[in-house]
Amino acid sequence: MVHDAPLQHVTGANGPGKLIGTSEQPLLDLQGLSIRFDGAPKDVNVVDDVSFSVGKGKTLCLVGESGCGKSVTALALMGLLPTPPARIVAGSAMFEGKDLLSLDEHERADMRGDRMAMIFQEPMTSLNPAFTIGDQIAEGIVRHRKVSKAEAWERALEMLRKVRIPAPEKRLKAYPHEMSGGMRQRVMIAMALANDPQLLIADEPTTALDVTIQAQILTLVRRLQEETGTSMIMITHDLGVVAEVADEVAVMYAGRVVETGPVEAIFEDPQHPYTIGLMGSVPSLGRRQGRLATIRGSVPPPELMPKGCRFTPRCPFSDQHCANDPPPLGEIAPGHRARCWYAPLEVKRGEAA
Amino acid sequence: MSAAAPRNDVILEGIDLKKHFGGGGLLSTPTVVRAVDGVSLAVQRGETFAIVGESGCGKSTLGRLLLRLIEATSGDVRYEGQSILSLKPNDVRRLRRELQIIFQDPFASLNPRMNVGDIVGEPIWLHGLAKGSERRDRVAELLNTVGLRAAHADRYPHEFSGGQRQRIGIARALAGDPKLIIGDEPVSALDVSIQAQIINLLEDLKERFGLTLVIVAHDLAVIRHMSDRVAVMYLGQIMELSETDALFDNPLHPYTQALLAAIPVPSPSSRQPKVLLQGDIPSPASPPSGCRFHTRCPHARPVCSQQTPALEATPEGRRVACHFWREIQGAGAGSITAPPPSPALAKRLELYRTWRERQDNAVAPSL
Ligand SMILES: Nc1ncnc2c1ncn2[C@@H]1O[C@H](COP(=O)(O)OP(=O)(O)OP(=O)(O)O)[C@@H](O)[C@H]1O
Ligand SMILES: Nc1ncnc2c1ncn2[C@@H]1O[C@H](COP(=O)(O)OP(=O)(O)OP(=O)(O)O)[C@@H](O)[C@H]1O
Ligand code: SF4
Ligand SMILES: [Mg+2]
Ligand SMILES: [Mg+2]
Repeated sequence: MVHDAPLQHVTGANGPGKLIGTSEQPLLDLQGLSIRFDGAPKDVNVVDDVSFSVGKGKTLCLVGESGCGKSVTALALMGLLPTPPARIVAGSAMFEGKDLLSLDEHERADMRGDRMAMIFQEPMTSLNPAFTIGDQIAEGIVRHRKVSKAEAWERALEMLRKVRIPAPEKRLKAYPHEMSGGMRQRVMIAMALANDPQLLIADEPTTALDVTIQAQILTLVRRLQEETGTSMIMITHDLGVVAEVADEVAVMYAGRVVETGPVEAIFEDPQHPYTIGLMGSVPSLGRRQGRLATIRGSVPPPELMPKGCRFTPRCPFSDQHCANDPPPLGEIAPGHRARCWYAPLEVKRGEAA
Repeated sequence: MSAAAPRNDVILEGIDLKKHFGGGGLLSTPTVVRAVDGVSLAVQRGETFAIVGESGCGKSTLGRLLLRLIEATSGDVRYEGQSILSLKPNDVRRLRRELQIIFQDPFASLNPRMNVGDIVGEPIWLHGLAKGSERRDRVAELLNTVGLRAAHADRYPHEFSGGQRQRIGIARALAGDPKLIIGDEPVSALDVSIQAQIINLLEDLKERFGLTLVIVAHDLAVIRHMSDRVAVMYLGQIMELSETDALFDNPLHPYTQALLAAIPVPSPSSRQPKVLLQGDIPSPASPPSGCRFHTRCPHARPVCSQQTPALEATPEGRRVACHFWREIQGAGAGSITAPPPSPALAKRLELYRTWRERQDNAVAPSL
């Protein structure tokens, strides 16, 4: 990318931003996750000091610009990070009394598809074109449960009914390419939920779908979640989707969580300049409100990342302090935190400077 | 948005356009895809006209037909009142200069082996508009116009971010002094923050150069923000054509209603259960008989599968292709309830803008 602003080199943010989403014991508690890639500029973590938690039966949405580290974070939790080149340099992820980040390969494989499951944007990447839908769902069940093949197929059929696939008996014997994108995503959901996982991670599950099909899938996911009490991490860049499904939101920017809180707080009382700029960038579905507010420039490449707040070069409120010192994820209100030196802005940036 | 596009000053018109793919030749499949199947529309000079619809409904094909980038199976396109399907070579060159297109994927649409100066300068050279240093100056000016710098002329597309590449594509489209630009999903591939920059840029350029814009898109919020009129397509046909606010405030066609109802509204306080469209979009290779929407329409009756509804004019000058739009419209279904920003957000956006302006005035103009 072409960048001209000369900026200082980089260090990680100091001090883990401790985070608790809800008052009761969360299902997943991620603290201080930092990941770097071999070959990347020194000291620039692709994911840096990321913390969030997911309550039982709750949905956390992870939002942020392309490349900000959403998928890498999810893959780390699932134990699917390619290591090398990726390396987890710090952090813990407590889930049902175990630290997901320090499981061995065998324990991780046991966890995946059983206690936790993941669905991806493009279902074809995780469906095998050579096997029928029924075979693939049943295999995932047999892998984790002591059941017969016939019982597994019975469960697969039940799952296809649950995700409302028409003519489920017939569909069990169909191959992935014989289905539409929306139907394949339903199959993925059926597969992911077959073993009643506690946690479902959905990485842009509706991004590739048309809006009417997206609405069907979102409604389905919500209904299933109500029925099963599964917790969910939903990764998306669509603020509309966030507003519809999230209980809690973590906004990421350039590898860090810059703001986190209940969904209402993020939309109605955003505190971080990036979140505010993001809200101003989305055109309204109501009558036109005038020109869009925009965020200037684009995300700097790693070698130009400021060592302080990573949003500095694009932030209207920034100064030298921001460029030099990484701000902490400070509490604004109970459960609502923003990583900005000048939040709340009315207080610290309200008067003409 | 243009203040008030003068009525009936048509710049570009499509008349009963059809584009069917396949069917011919020995090796091609016998199935015919009716990508565009009888579309008529008239774009007014100075307006922003949007074409919206779900994947595969024929938006891009229609856009290409309107520029004659592909040949129509049947029908006609008129630019400035003249058919473009039977132009002399000289007139084709003028057409190629005055009608421009920008694409969704800025990377795929820029030649990776050409530097930015050549990419932007090519139309100037092609149409003999300027030479040598004059051409270089013109390229520099164009780069400035789209928020890039003259120094960027020596670099190559891969050195730029998605948003910057889209700016290069826009600079190139502007190079020949176009009258009309078709944007085929010009912001769909971009992050929200970059998308907003490009939307504002397109609006500024439209104003500055008196352009007519045709925006092909599937994002209804972008369309509501940018456009004066909207054509809603489904399986190769126009279902509804209307002024933007009227369409969003009171959608007449059941498909438009369903489309609007399906959009996730970025406001957690207005969550509500939705009336959902069931089923998948049928294949354009075998579109349903009669009204193409009847297989998914909650209001369908027997006549819908037998007779194709005409794109009827309503008393308000809107157009809608549904046998029962009069009865259905009273239901008020689908109109969008998007609350304005909360007071706290409005206040903070105000603060954001103030500081942004202050910063922009203090340093060199930003992107
Ligand atoms: N194998 C890899 N080697 C080096 N860098 C990588 C690798 N995989 C990802 N990255 C980098 O890690 C960063 C985070 O990537 P990630 O895929 O998590 O982004 P994301 O937030 O999911 O983006 P998107 O919205 O585009 O999916 C990116 O800058 C990417 O370039
Ligand atoms: N060159 C081609 N040959 C055969 N079929 C084609 C060709 N181009 C488009 N089609 C088909 O015509 C139909 C309309 O395609 P088109 O690209 O116009 O849709 P669209 O509305 O732009 O969709 P999207 O939102 O996915 O871009 C689709 O079914 C597509 O597969
Ligand atoms: S810390 Fe500074 S640069 Fe970062 S968001 Fe806050 S004001 Fe902007
Ligand atoms: Mg991703
Ligand atoms: Mg298209």
